[in-house]
Amino acid sequence: MSSGTAKSRWPYLLEASGLPILLVLMCFFFSVLPETSASFASIDNIRITLGAQSALIVIAMAALIPLICQEYDFSVGATAGLGAVFAASAMAAGAPIIVAIAIAIVLGLVVGLVNGFLVTTAGVNSVVTTLGTATLIAGVVALKTESKSIVSGIPASLTDFISGELFGIPRGFYIAIIVTVGVWYLLRQTPWGRYLSAIGDNRQAARLLGANVKRRLLSVYLISGALAGAAGILLIGDTGTASPQIGPGYTLPAIAAAFLSVAAVQPGRFNVWGTLIAILFLGVLNSGLYLAGTNPYVNDFANGGALIIGVGLASLLGRNRSQQA
Amino acid sequence: MDEAGTGTVLWMTDVVKSFGGNRALCGVSLGINRGEIHALIGGNGSGKSTLLKILAGVLPADSGSLKVQDRAWNLRDFTPEAARESGLRFVHQQPTVFPSLSILDNLCINGQYSIGLMGNIRWGSTRRRVLDTMERFGIDASPNQLVGQLSPAMRTMVEIARALQGQEPGSQSVLALDEPTAALPSREVEMLLGMLQRFASQDSQAILFVTHRLEEIVQVADRVTVLRDGMDVATLNREGLSKAVLAEAIVGRPLEAFFPEPVAQHPASRPVLELDCVNGGGVRDLSIAVEAGEVLGIAGHMGSGRSTVLKLIYGATTVESGRVCLDGRELALHDPEDAIQAGIGYVPEDRLGHAVLPTMSIADNLAMVSPRDYWKGGRHQRKQEFADAAAAIKTYGIKADSPSVPMNSLSGGNQQKVVMARWLRRGPRVLLLDEPTQAVDVGARADLWRLIQDAAAHGTAVVIASSDLEELAHLCERVIVLKEGTLGIELNGASGLSEDDISHALHDLEAA
Repeated sequence: MSSGTAKSRWPYLLEASGLPILLVLMCFFFSVLPETSASFASIDNIRITLGAQSALIVIAMAALIPLICQEYDFSVGATAGLGAVFAASAMAAGAPIIVAIAIAIVLGLVVGLVNGFLVTTAGVNSVVTTLGTATLIAGVVALKTESKSIVSGIPASLTDFISGELFGIPRGFYIAIIVTVGVWYLLRQTPWGRYLSAIGDNRQAARLLGANVKRRLLSVYLISGALAGAAGILLIGDTGTASPQIGPGYTLPAIAAAFLSVAAVQPGRFNVWGTLIAILFLGVLNSGLYLAGTNPYVNDFANGGALIIGVGLASLLGRNRSQQA
Repeated sequence: MDEAGTGTVLWMTDVVKSFGGNRALCGVSLGINRGEIHALIGGNGSGKSTLLKILAGVLPADSGSLKVQDRAWNLRDFTPEAARESGLRFVHQQPTVFPSLSILDNLCINGQYSIGLMGNIRWGSTRRRVLDTMERFGIDASPNQLVGQLSPAMRTMVEIARALQGQEPGSQSVLALDEPTAALPSREVEMLLGMLQRFASQDSQAILFVTHRLEEIVQVADRVTVLRDGMDVATLNREGLSKAVLAEAIVGRPLEAFFPEPVAQHPASRPVLELDCVNGGGVRDLSIAVEAGEVLGIAGHMGSGRSTVLKLIYGATTVESGRVCLDGRELALHDPEDAIQAGIGYVPEDRLGHAVLPTMSIADNLAMVSPRDYWKGGRHQRKQEFADAAAAIKTYGIKADSPSVPMNSLSGGNQQKVVMARWLRRGPRVLLLDEPTQAVDVGARADLWRLIQDAAAHGTAVVIASSDLEELAHLCERVIVLKEGTLGIELNGASGLSEDDISHALHDLEAA
């Protein structure tokens, strides 16, 4: 143990920087690959790729926070869709943008409250709870929209602002980065975030250390719900429409990215920057594959594989850590 | 020690194992005879677990040989399958029985069901075989009973029976038990030890027994091998075995210099902690008062409410009625958070389950009592936290390279010191300790005792619930004995209490 500290530094650094290095290598690869070299590194592609990731980044943050306490939230994508649809229809009915944003966030909070109540007070398993609420939300969305996309009535000022560029990058991406920094701050700098880590590590011990587990888990679901709901606005801003089907598809990529974070930046722990890098990694991979002319189903392979590899790494790295004893 | 004796069934020679640059074992030799209970003892980090893992074939040795059942093995390439074929059977510290399955299923789960022509289980003959096994191993229950409903000692017996059921009595097999008594209350320990002894003498079973509890060794061991710093420093015979001799062999220095003397009684002061007719969690009408600098002991059998009293004071179990007062003011205890804010600290009985944050660092484990202390200017003051943790590592004698080391890389004794330091460095008004030295070695035990006495000397009111009478006798001037949640007997010893005093009180109360 004692002599190992200097030696064990290198594998740690390798684990920490592996995914970021892969990301850079992959960008380089698609930039020189004949099929993609013209289009991949173009301003347009960078704009499209990053713009498409901004909502996913916020949704992944919403999935990451519960994951820190070993809670799974499978309703984040559906909640984002819920926020998008209700905000869009409010705007279509003439509500100001700020009211629409408030509607998306409040709906997210309501979902978070339901999830949090069922998990903490009723004691229902988080996977079951959130799969259930995700399905319920899909029903509510279908009811509200009659399964039709909302394409008109969305103010151009909103879509122009979010998909408009600042230094060649869509503003939505900056918003996502600001949210990411905020989540990093909450998780890493505040007592609240440290209690979450303790709850994830040993719930009973955390309770006896005064972590007030029930109250904190409720707050976790509320914040997760609010973030997911707010991500709905980014969905509208990026595409200019609100489709009733769009939300749920974000859940698995978001959770996959959060799981993959254990393999980057802070090996063995779910972390904010690792999640961001995992999303960029998957985004670049999908974009590169698309430009290379592969069939769309290849992207499914990439996302599904990433989820399995991420979960596998999470348990593998976790196991290594506990075997250091 | 060159030739294996005639009765020797297992012989390990010159086992060497290093981790990185650290030598965990530097040439350990160990022989086990037929029909003998051979104890293996040593402090934390002395190499006990490493040796056991090598014997089980789960960890390859750097060098060393093993002779078992007339076959020689190089321990560099000994495997779990080879260990099994060689008749080595292991019962690990963590139970591996299935609590929600019946005894019968637990005993047959490795493929011991008798199978009919259609691939069906032939319940009749399976049941008869299981009944035979249960009789042989002294398991007095119905085969259909769920293992989770058995007492802990019986559960361990089921585990032993499962490990040994295929072996003929008197075969050359060796049963290795890794701290089987660590989680058992004292009465259950007696039962288990009795069964092991019967086993060794009647069935000539060779048993290798790893434990921290010296009194058990004195009671049952035929021979003892003592490990210290990766070497077998002594092999002691039954004659002349005593706790003092063992403790001295483990730590390698005379005992007198080792166990601190009880500190002098503080002058009587006003009570810090008062319980007034407290009810809750099975405890009934309990009234006690503890003064600053006093160490109050709570004795009682399992289920007497020993642990519950501490949980009530800590807010971890709901107080149904009655008052808990600190410095004369009633506390509203809804949650441990309230107790922590009032200056009450609690070290739970189940260290791994309820106290340790395993993958978090020592610094985190210390700070998580009150993370707000390190939240200044909207930032987490990591540097300050690390500096304080490094100081605590020094002050409380924790063996660790740095505050950033994860908790699960520490030995049990050092983990317990961290758990204790968590509270001690805050200078708590009240410190509640549940089995504070359970499953730690004598060295760490003496250190922990010293920490408790220091805390009392600095004015903390300490309450210790323990099944370890030596511990209570050593630390407490006053011991209350509980029975079925009520205060049975209060023992007051101005000149100190002895183990016998407490033991008699327990017996008297049981008889009453």
